[in-house]
Amino acid sequence: MSFPPTAATARGPIPARAGIGLRFPHHRVVAETRPDVAWIEVHTENYLGGGVTPAWLDAIRCDYLISCHGVGLSLGTAEGLDRDHLARIGRAVERFAPALISEHLSWSVAGGRYLADLLPLPLTDEALAVVCRNVDETQEFLRRRILIENPSSYLCYRHSTIPEWEFLAAVAGRTGCGILCDVNNIYVSAQNHGWDASTYLAALPPAAIGEIHLAGHAVRRLDDGSVLRIDDHGSRVAPAVWALYAEALDRFGPVPTLIEWDTDIPPLATLLDEARSAQTLLDRYGRKAGHADAA
Amino acid sequence: MPTLRELQRVVAHGLIAHDDAAAAHVIADGLAPAARLAIYRNTVIASLTNALRLSYPAVYRLVGAAFFESAAQLFLAAHSPRGACLDDYDAGFADFLADFAPAASVRYLAGVARLDWAVNRALHAPDADRLDPARLVAVAAADEPYVHFVPHPSVGLVHAEHPVDAIWRAVLAQDEAAMAAIDLDEGPVFLLVRRTADGPAIARLASAAWRFTASLCAGQSLQDAIATAGDVDAATLLASHLIDGVFTDFAVDEGGGRQPMENLP
Repeated sequence: MSFPPTAATARGPIPARAGIGLRFPHHRVVAETRPDVAWIEVHTENYLGGGVTPAWLDAIRCDYLISCHGVGLSLGTAEGLDRDHLARIGRAVERFAPALISEHLSWSVAGGRYLADLLPLPLTDEALAVVCRNVDETQEFLRRRILIENPSSYLCYRHSTIPEWEFLAAVAGRTGCGILCDVNNIYVSAQNHGWDASTYLAALPPAAIGEIHLAGHAVRRLDDGSVLRIDDHGSRVAPAVWALYAEALDRFGPVPTLIEWDTDIPPLATLLDEARSAQTLLDRYGRKAGHADAA
Repeated sequence: MPTLRELQRVVAHGLIAHDDAAAAHVIADGLAPAARLAIYRNTVIASLTNALRLSYPAVYRLVGAAFFESAAQLFLAAHSPRGACLDDYDAGFADFLADFAPAASVRYLAGVARLDWAVNRALHAPDADRLDPARLVAVAAADEPYVHFVPHPSVGLVHAEHPVDAIWRAVLAQDEAAMAAIDLDEGPVFLLVRRTADGPAIARLASAAWRFTASLCAGQSLQDAIATAGDVDAATLLASHLIDGVFTDFAVDEGGGRQPMENLP
């Protein structure tokens, strides 16, 4: 089954331009100054209640196309989706009419506990079936195509049998969902696990790529001198990640690209500056492949 | 090889309860499996502790970061959230603090926590239209005792043995002089918390007025709420609550059942 990527009532798709992730400290400045940025993404779970917070988004979405990026649906949960949570997301989608909806290739819920992190899946045929079932259920409930984001990870399970890039491509192939290609996450995981980032990018079907994420990560030196990269979204995009982004654009063509920043959130101007850097690369590399907006 | 469900149960338990049974399923590759799991554990605990801190800002200020974090870790080991919307998490933290021996010397802490939670609810509760008082005009005088109200989702009622509203304001404003001026023995407070256009509002009520309001918010009929409250000016209070948007709807008991007014002939 295939679902439309955007609601019929939305003002068209997100353009293949640079956007920024909106966090609480910037609600007011964005609503009042309407900065020059192509689109805005929010964490869906922050706007499921009432009161002032969703009212800010009501105001902001008058001027910007919105993407709702979920962090709590737990598409990898073996026990199945939390239908109450899915229903709340459905109400948020109705209220905010996002042009894109995305979630993660990860899990956060087990035994009815929510663990508030994007935990890694064992990459097995069983997990692939679980993720596909949950993605199918989500898309059927929302009557929309969603995008699935590759996670960053710090461990691999002994019983994994499928490379992550093949797993992600298979989820897109089986469910018709799109892929949110987080280039920073590919870089972080590739460095942490000794994968080849170019191999990862090459395995992803270009037509399924609906969005790219960029963010900063931390480099942690361990006691034995080795290095682990932590995806903390707390700094500017690293030079090596910009290079990988250029490679991704070369491969995928122009794709809506988002700057994420979640810890030590800087002034809005810093985010806009990062978005301009992404736009420069979009303008330079995104034309080569020459295909239309993938979203 | 564990099933996905088995693996997720053992990882989830291990992250919260600090056991490393899941390490058997993780590849070392230059870093001990337990150390790899600890990266996730740190994030989980930091995220949930931060969610608690945001919901309980006055408690956090009163006890300080170190005490708060150790209390939060013990709490979340026993009460990890059931859903992914963390605005709803941690309703039980006040009860936990009430029984938490290391906090026993701070007599008013659980009361402040209940107020923190009520304010958090007032901030994030679903939106709902207030009851238009004009609709009540249609109620026949003989039916008035049997009217029930539906409280606005943001409304909370807090009763505490200490002046926790004054403590809450002073500690969040970091107003040392106001804090020093508080008389802990001035007696109990009865508070009505709700959301207004300007943010959360905390009002003190007289004890009878609070009992009346709490009874109405719990779904008792007007007649029963008056009986519960005792000496109370019900008409004035009701008018004030209607103006403040404390209620969103009402119904009239008839022969034991309830019927929304719109459905009556």
